[in-house]
Amino acid sequence: MSVVRLLITLFAGFISHASAATFHAVIVTASGAESGARGHSFAGIQTRVERPVQRGVELALFESTTSFEAYGIVPKLMIIDLNDQQPIDTQLAQIPTDALVILDLPKPEFIQVATALNALERTTINVRHPDTDLRDQICLPSLYHTIPSERMYFDALGQFLIYRGWRKVLVVHGPSERDKERTAILEKSLKKFGAEISDIRQYTLSHHPDDRDKNKPEFLTGGASYDVVAVIDSDKDFGRYIQYSTRRARPVVGDVGLTPVGWHRTLERYGAPQLNERYQRFDQSNPLPPSEAMSDAEFAAWSAIKLITNSLSVAGINAQSLSPRQILEHPDTQVDLYKGTRGSIRNWNHQLRQPILLATSEAVIAVAPMPKFLHPKHYVDTLGFDKPESPCQLN
Amino acid sequence: MIQKQYKNNRNEQALTLAFVTLISLGTGTDLAAFEAIITNERSGDAIHINDEGSTTHVAKVCSRPRGMTKGFDDSQVVIACSDDDKVIIYNRKTKAIEAEINNVTGAMNLTFHEPTGQLLVTNEGSSRASVYDLKSGRFIAELRTGLEPDGIAITGDGKLIFVASENAGLVHVFDGATYQPLDVIRTNLRPRRIALSSDELWVSSEMGSRVEIFDTKTRKMKAEVIFAPKGFRPEQMTPVDILFNPNNNEAYVALGGANHVAIVDTKTLKITKYILVGRRAWGLGLSPDAQTLIVLNGLSDDFTMINLNTRRPTLTRRAGLIPHSIEVFK
Repeated sequence: MSVVRLLITLFAGFISHASAATFHAVIVTASGAESGARGHSFAGIQTRVERPVQRGVELALFESTTSFEAYGIVPKLMIIDLNDQQPIDTQLAQIPTDALVILDLPKPEFIQVATALNALERTTINVRHPDTDLRDQICLPSLYHTIPSERMYFDALGQFLIYRGWRKVLVVHGPSERDKERTAILEKSLKKFGAEISDIRQYTLSHHPDDRDKNKPEFLTGGASYDVVAVIDSDKDFGRYIQYSTRRARPVVGDVGLTPVGWHRTLERYGAPQLNERYQRFDQSNPLPPSEAMSDAEFAAWSAIKLITNSLSVAGINAQSLSPRQILEHPDTQVDLYKGTRGSIRNWNHQLRQPILLATSEAVIAVAPMPKFLHPKHYVDTLGFDKPESPCQLN
Repeated sequence: MIQKQYKNNRNEQALTLAFVTLISLGTGTDLAAFEAIITNERSGDAIHINDEGSTTHVAKVCSRPRGMTKGFDDSQVVIACSDDDKVIIYNRKTKAIEAEINNVTGAMNLTFHEPTGQLLVTNEGSSRASVYDLKSGRFIAELRTGLEPDGIAITGDGKLIFVASENAGLVHVFDGATYQPLDVIRTNLRPRRIALSSDELWVSSEMGSRVEIFDTKTRKMKAEVIFAPKGFRPEQMTPVDILFNPNNNEAYVALGGANHVAIVDTKTLKITKYILVGRRAWGLGLSPDAQTLIVLNGLSDDFTMINLNTRRPTLTRRAGLIPHSIEVFK
């Protein structure tokens, strides 16, 4: 009896593979457009990890092997490295209609390619850019975001500060446009949860003696009353000098110190150690040491694939095709994110809803939403733009 | 001997008090005495607690003790030491480690089949479960599972073995005699624990926020139990342990991040009560008289005792750090 059952299972598996549906995962990169100094600060010192997201994608495909077998699906990974010799449309034309396209591109190229793919109705995933304009203004029907938005990161930080009773915040930001934009978002998050901003100060990299107040941490953080210093330093350039150099003995949060992140190598709960270990070891030809973990972009790329493979049961899959779009549009689509609460898609702006970790370099201190920040519908929707607030209304 | 004497006294006391408490408000009922052992994942110990919730002994056992099951007799627990890649037999009466089975990679959860003396262990990081002869420590067989096997169960007659793989979303079914794979059951997200009744397989889906019930013979899904305690959103239901009460038609489900335990009527599948406990309720234990349910709260590092007659919590006390599993003895 049992042997017969096994044979039927195997035979059925064989049959379905003969006319199997293909899951086309595509990564679009533009290695030529990446800055040579990516992830580096002054004197070539590496201050952040910015790897291609491919390893995260491959890990997710590896993890999904049994799901693919169960549903008779054959995964195919295609990588397109855009060049500037051919027109972009020509290069994108090779992407199959039912592909899940992950964009690993700098922002200008990202916008160009995402817009082109939207016109082609290709399901596209943003795994790299938390920028709010991509969600709120550009707001493309074919575009999904599995990396958290800036607003989600800062809302998590805002909740944490209120939870700890650190209500008075001194904000220090860099001179770049990006730093200024992110500072404005941080301000909104802090206000949303009732924090008080003591002052907002700009760091300036200048040799002029009059600017000493703007580049020496002790002066930059002097003459104000605050519980905590929030640093906005998108390039991880100057912020690393602020901690332990503040005028008052206060904790530092934001882009240094306690940082809101999508993923972390030291998360101990929710099966995370298993995922981290697997990330390091699954590629036997290229193992990574235990100190390495997925960056937020890699984790977002992993999440995108897993959204599909965790939700194969929700949308009809016939022998010939698997439609990632159909799955992403389905209200029951969900993903196990190893963060204690499953992820799902906000249908109004196509953002993956997910918990945010608040971590130092060595430990995860908290997982937001923080206790007592309640939402009437979705536990994690106190993080980021809720449906009524969102300028993007795709549904 | 003295300990036994004490226990008998306690039982008598419980009997004499029973009448009084029935008339009274029903709180503070003095139930039969018991001792429970709790493994604490982070602090690396096993604690002994009594029926009043007091910790009577703390035994350092190993690194990351997680799953636990009863052994050959009333004095033994078998503990999976995840970071030490071993399984130990701890004697709660002598408070000593009696034996070890080594090279049990990533030992996560375990179950003991007394009639055959087999110990079944899931090996979390290596997508398999392994079978040992508990008495000799001899390795018997290896079962290939999906990624991150956790819950493991064997039918009373020893004919079927079930293993839940968290990442894969599958329960693998094996022949208990030949260890050959028989079937694979698709589950919702992150299947954690398995509870077996006579003909049903209950599987908690932690990230799918439900308990799925399958027929053990046909392996077809029969029903789902969805939870909705007041004040919590659907995705906060992250059920882990499931326990059947042998004396009635009740099942208990620890709802994880929803900080409640649900009492489910196994006949109607209606949820008859939600009881608020500590943070991330996951491990469950039932006293030998089936009157007290003990819930381990993995995020608040404590345990809650629930009087099943009144269906109310009676106390919450500190456990070790990250309490994981519990076994309760007379």
